[in-house]
Amino acid sequence: MTEEEAARTIWDGLKTAGINLVATLPDVNLAELLRAVEEDRDVVHVPLCREEEGIGVCAGAYLVGKKCAAIMQNGGFFNSNNAIVSTLLQYQIPLLLLIYYAGDVGDRTFSTSGAMTEPVLQALGIRYYVMRQPKDAAELIKRAQILAEDSKRPVALLLTKEVLGRRAALGASHPE
Amino acid sequence: MKRFDCLKLIAAEAKDALVVSSAGATTLEWNALRPSDGNFRVRTLGLCSSIALGMALGLPHRRIVALDGDGSLLMNLCSLPTIARMRPNNLLHVVFDNEVYEASGSKKTATASCTDLFAIARAAGIEKARWANSVEEFAQAVSAALKGEGPYFMGAKITTDRTEVPPYPMDEVENKYRFVRHVEKTENIEIFKSGLPASYA
Repeated sequence: MTEEEAARTIWDGLKTAGINLVATLPDVNLAELLRAVEEDRDVVHVPLCREEEGIGVCAGAYLVGKKCAAIMQNGGFFNSNNAIVSTLLQYQIPLLLLIYYAGDVGDRTFSTSGAMTEPVLQALGIRYYVMRQPKDAAELIKRAQILAEDSKRPVALLLTKEVLGRRAALGASHPE
Repeated sequence: MKRFDCLKLIAAEAKDALVVSSAGATTLEWNALRPSDGNFRVRTLGLCSSIALGMALGLPHRRIVALDGDGSLLMNLCSLPTIARMRPNNLLHVVFDNEVYEASGSKKTATASCTDLFAIARAAGIEKARWANSVEEFAQAVSAALKGEGPYFMGAKITTDRTEVPPYPMDEVENKYRFVRHVEKTENIEIFKSGLPASYA
């Protein structure tokens, strides 16, 4: 799957899940996905200056009826932690977090960020899924949104280079 | 200028506006002046204007007011360029600048020495920014902002004295449910769905 096709698959998955407001901050690996967001006139797109404000924007929009997703790098997830704890978790507000997994196995950069990403999610009690197979992306997004709404908590989807079409996906037998 | 007097002016003009307020005395004084399920208290320092922006984008036909403080805004200055960029015409962002972290032991903020929040808002791209130097100017600016096309930013230097008011009457989760039910009722929309299959009912 090309990068463009992978981005389209993820974006279609978000639309099918009912997402109609998206807050974003760029990463080069998210470029095609963000292009799909920008081109879609049916969805409110909020380009951010810092990811933590996006947690506030999505919380406010949720309280008036929007279905929201925030797209960012894991560095931005670290930036957002106070808002995630004292707004999303404290008030029991759901939010789909799509986090680019910088420092994933095989990356040449950000290995420290990669090492801390899952432990921090676990410490916050946020359920998360590492997305590796582009063909499963849409269905996983749909299920994650159901989980977020039902649990009234944020749910994180970690976007790897594989699911973004930037690296070949390994076979199903690959030990995760 | 006293914050309580400014809040009274907003309460007189706010009608059915949804109001987001920064935690601390601002929230308590506002809630005493306009008790309503259309009030939402913010617990994350800095997030007041961002949550209000999200509401303004989600309900573009409804007036949204953010009651912010200098310490809170200083923590989330990037909210100003984002508001300027998104241009929600239904948003009024009010900043009460008492030059201290009032709820945190009254240590001085940067506005006590040199920082000008009005100039920052203007430079961020918010054209309709006002700074009130008297209660009369504040009244005039509120009245214009709650009728016209925003986004509006307005601020005022206020004294640090607090008005004696009751404590906040509910926790965060109750605040959320009441607020959302209020929006559902006044907008005639459904936000919370049980989502359970019929067989569970």
